[in-house]
Amino acid sequence: MKIGLEVHVQLPTKSKLFCSCSTSAEEPNSSICPTCLGFPGSRPSLNRRALEMGVEIARFLDCKIPEEVWFSRKTYFYPDLPKCFQITQYDSALGTDGTFIVNERTIGIWRAHLEEDPGRIKRVGKAGEEVSLIDYNRSGIPLVEIVTAPDLTSPEEARIFLQELLVELRHIIGTMAGDEQSVRVDANISMDGERVEVKNIQGLRNLEKALKFEASRQSKMVEAGMKVVRETRRYDEVRKVTMSSREKETEEDYGYIGEPDLGTFSVGVIARSLGTTETPLRRAHRMAGHYAVDFGKMRQIVLTSMPLADMFELLAQKVDPEIALAWTLGPISANWSALLPRIDDPVSTALVSIIVQTANREITDSEARRRIDAIASGECPADLSCVVEDGMLDSIIAAFIDEHPQVLRDYSTNPRSANSVIGHVMKVAKGKYNSQEVVEAVKKEIEKRK
Amino acid sequence: MKGHISTEKLAALNEKYLPFAEFAQELEDLTDYPPKFHFSAKDNICATGFQARAGSRILEGYRPPFDATVVRKMREANGILIGKTNMDEFGFGTFCTNSAFGIPRNPHDVERSCGGSSGGAAAITALLDKHVALAESTGGSISCPASFCGVIGLTPTYGRVSRYGLIDYANSLDKIGLIARTSDDLKRFLPIISGPDKKDPTSIVQPQLQLGGFKVKSVAVPEEAMQNLDPAVRTAFEAALEKLREMGIESHRVSMPSLGFALAAYYVLATSEASTNLARYKGMLFGVRGGHIDQSFNDYFSEVRSANFGKEAKRRVLLGTYTRMVGFRDRYYLKALAVRQLVIKEYNGLMEHNDAILTPTMPFIAPRFSEIARMKPLEVYQADFLTVPPNLTGMPHLSLPCGYHDRMPIGMQLVAPHWEERRLLDVAGRWCSGFDIRFPEVSG
Repeated sequence: MKIGLEVHVQLPTKSKLFCSCSTSAEEPNSSICPTCLGFPGSRPSLNRRALEMGVEIARFLDCKIPEEVWFSRKTYFYPDLPKCFQITQYDSALGTDGTFIVNERTIGIWRAHLEEDPGRIKRVGKAGEEVSLIDYNRSGIPLVEIVTAPDLTSPEEARIFLQELLVELRHIIGTMAGDEQSVRVDANISMDGERVEVKNIQGLRNLEKALKFEASRQSKMVEAGMKVVRETRRYDEVRKVTMSSREKETEEDYGYIGEPDLGTFSVGVIARSLGTTETPLRRAHRMAGHYAVDFGKMRQIVLTSMPLADMFELLAQKVDPEIALAWTLGPISANWSALLPRIDDPVSTALVSIIVQTANREITDSEARRRIDAIASGECPADLSCVVEDGMLDSIIAAFIDEHPQVLRDYSTNPRSANSVIGHVMKVAKGKYNSQEVVEAVKKEIEKRK
Repeated sequence: MKGHISTEKLAALNEKYLPFAEFAQELEDLTDYPPKFHFSAKDNICATGFQARAGSRILEGYRPPFDATVVRKMREANGILIGKTNMDEFGFGTFCTNSAFGIPRNPHDVERSCGGSSGGAAAITALLDKHVALAESTGGSISCPASFCGVIGLTPTYGRVSRYGLIDYANSLDKIGLIARTSDDLKRFLPIISGPDKKDPTSIVQPQLQLGGFKVKSVAVPEEAMQNLDPAVRTAFEAALEKLREMGIESHRVSMPSLGFALAAYYVLATSEASTNLARYKGMLFGVRGGHIDQSFNDYFSEVRSANFGKEAKRRVLLGTYTRMVGFRDRYYLKALAVRQLVIKEYNGLMEHNDAILTPTMPFIAPRFSEIARMKPLEVYQADFLTVPPNLTGMPHLSLPCGYHDRMPIGMQLVAPHWEERRLLDVAGRWCSGFDIRFPEVSG
């Protein structure tokens, strides 16, 4: 089985691709202007941020990026397309010949390009008396289209490909709200015969369902001695079947010409100016190699969240990576939603300290778990006094001074400024240490830093 | 009072010559300080307060909610927009006979065409003292009517003047320019309408407009341009060359074979782009609505377009759709793009040795409507063989009255290198100081 995808992802820009209309509007037809309605006399001007995001994506996919790109007009008559041509890229793309790795398999990326979305048609009224309403808020929303080679071999792999692609894209260009539901895909699928295109599948779940249906439909035809014909079909989400869309069997002629209003854009310069960013799944690969741990588990961690991966790496530097992994995927993951909002120091330091102590058999595993639960549940105050143990006195003091460097400045002229540190520690440690002990430790730390 | 205009006067002129698609029903006093002036805009240039129909019935009722950048700039400079001038539908024509809103008449002889497609702009400029018109040229639509109506037409370099607010014919060729009565007016208004505008990305990269600092000493006259001319045009043009020589401008006969290919390349590119630009007219968001909304979308838009596009618009949509089709795209559209580069190269080569290139503007004087009725579409297209090439290259050009035959004006056309409008202004100024432009009797 061969499957190739054309994935359309909405870019999370503030304004549309060719005008300054907002991309977030609730009320239908409330974010529109002469340009995105195609009024005579209006003119497009390109949203630079959308171009940059597109180039970032092309570069992430290891595409060859040309020095210059331009846009084209794809002409077809449809009510949701105000100009009756879509500004897209045809004989110019942001990138070509890239790759994306899924489950250790390399999937070819033929191209990635920018284009504008048409409006949205909504059909209302009962059957036979249907009326079409058009919402042009979507008209001109920037999309990146990613076209794969027919390298995917199963509906499941296609779904995983798309899921992982979205994970990476989210990291590169920012949150794309509801992307797993809103992503639109045209899928080409063939079982050693003619290919069939299933157009306009919306959402990750529908992709797998549509492909599974289409694969079994084609298999059954072949078994029954029938020939699969090359055609365009569409997926009916309600009935969960693909249906012939009765379009011409030959490719539609869109009469592409260059878009003369926009000129050319130097994307080579943009590509070279981009910094490197480690995406979640690439990080999983690196961590699996670096710490010699299972890739699947690393994948699970990065898919949960990148700060969880940060936590794992902090631990893996202090304790055996397998132990770090067990604690990360165990008690820390279990409490992750509660821990995430305050995972910065001193919480992460405290967690590391707890796990180091249990690794050194200074405390039991159940005690460690109790302490982690206490931090997560909020039973333990923000200052972590409940998990304070011997040896933590110094780190509480150090953390406080780090956050309040003015203490050091004031101390040289007024030694009483140390009282603020002492007061904090006494409060945090709730009588775990006597005042003499605390005063000495604070003075020692301040002297050390002078 | 000289220069005074009123709605009654505009109505009377429109009754006789039909230069306007629509004119102001209330007029501001032009004597206020700071000094105000009146101007018109071709009907494909959007302006609030007026419809913008571009000569097409399909745009009936379209009231753009914005001013074109050129209109805004002219209004900010104290200009009073008195009307939208009549034109061939979307600019498709040479004689202004393809307008849905009547055919404007030549102010020198109402039996004759005022040229196209900016016919109304040239006519009103010839008719109204102190008037300046915003016109637009895709393939000669400023030069041709300026020549036929005996006024001055300036087409700036492509990208010099923002096209924001211009209803597109062919975006890679469309240029907004001026039709004026004096060379001083060109110098006054060109800087006002020029300059980068972020609303039109193709206007952003342009060198600063210069008005002086260049004295034209020589012009090249292509042999190919001297063929198939009306004898009256040839005589007037040769007399003009002699006069130029007396002014210190030498002319050199040159050969310019690419002139022969420019027309074909132009029509392929212009109609390809036009057929995509006209796709949006489907009776939905602006302009006319179809009567029957209870039919399929394909039937609906086909009905609206069949009923409201003129014959020439339909012809160009078909031509342009054909040249974009798979299989023909390489043979026509892409080849035409290559020819355009060839023509540019030849112009640039000639202008290494000459300051500008000079030809007659049109091969004949303004024809009578009875003559036009007998012409085949291809003959009409061929009438543009001297005005199309500079338009294809995007180079600035100027049509100047250079003589008269039987009261009818004859024009010559000067082409300068990209961004060198100052060479045109230089020749315009020197020529006008020694040449008496004749305006029709009605002028007041």
